[in-house]
Amino acid sequence: MTDCGCNKAKAELEEYLHREVSDADFLDISEHLATCDDCSAEHLVGVVLTEKVRKACQEKAPEELRIAVLGRLEQLSL
Amino acid sequence: MAVLAIAEESVTLSDLELALMTDMSEPSDPRALFEEQALPYMDQLYAAAMRLTRNPADAADLVQETFVKAYTAFAQFQQGTNLKAWLYRIQTNTFINNYRKNQRNPYQGTIDDLEDWQLGGAESVTQSTSTRSAEAEAIDHLPDSAVKNALQAIPEDFRMAVYFADVEGFSYQEIADIMKTPVGTVMSRLHRGRKMLRELLADYAKDRGIAATTGRPAQTRNVSRSTR
Repeated sequence: MTDCGCNKAKAELEEYLHREVSDADFLDISEHLATCDDCSAEHLVGVVLTEKVRKACQEKAPEELRIAVLGRLEQLSL
Repeated sequence: MAVLAIAEESVTLSDLELALMTDMSEPSDPRALFEEQALPYMDQLYAAAMRLTRNPADAADLVQETFVKAYTAFAQFQQGTNLKAWLYRIQTNTFINNYRKNQRNPYQGTIDDLEDWQLGGAESVTQSTSTRSAEAEAIDHLPDSAVKNALQAIPEDFRMAVYFADVEGFSYQEIADIMKTPVGTVMSRLHRGRKMLRELLADYAKDRGIAATTGRPAQTRNVSRSTR
């Protein structure tokens, strides 16, 4: 990379967030984020977005569903 | 599952290990094995089904159908591989076959071909660092309901790519297998989905006056909403 690292980091932040970059790239981007306010602010938005989505999507299956599924499995096993 | 992984290497097992395995008595009954291994994923499958069907009754039906199909095909499941991904693959197929045909979605099948401007995803406006920090904070303060609504508002394939990556933590390759699409398409769906989500949430925060947010052009959000 000939630039300060911003181009590479910005292009790969999403893959970085999802741990889909190589170990070498992961280190490069981590190092860059530690020193670049702009990229680390952008990364923070991505992290917060992921965390909000993850939390919002926690659900508990209704008890009736559990009972219904167990009933179907029992039927199928007869 | 750990027990079965060990069982495959039985040639190297000591007598003690063999004794331990016997004590743990791996269920020989397929139903007991299925209940032990697959049923713990019910909450997660239900959450995904809620994102797909958008209502509790259909979600419950979909999950029930998924478990029935998975159980009848369980002999074909290769122990030691990713059971959760296998279950999601069945649920996704079941949804497409049973439910999607009942839903009207003019974009289905072509959504990946749409250009970003057609999706309302104007290339991101240059933002200052402080604006980004404010955006992160604003998103962080949003209620779960706002996040769920925003998810429901983006196209299904984008929504599920985001769900599989951000909620379930599947790798891009696993998502590609579940959605039966190339990894490049997964990346594109994720990128566009997250971008739309971010814009919708920024708009929501702005509407609610939650915090200072980005100065995005008004037309951006109108177009992105019209993609429902």
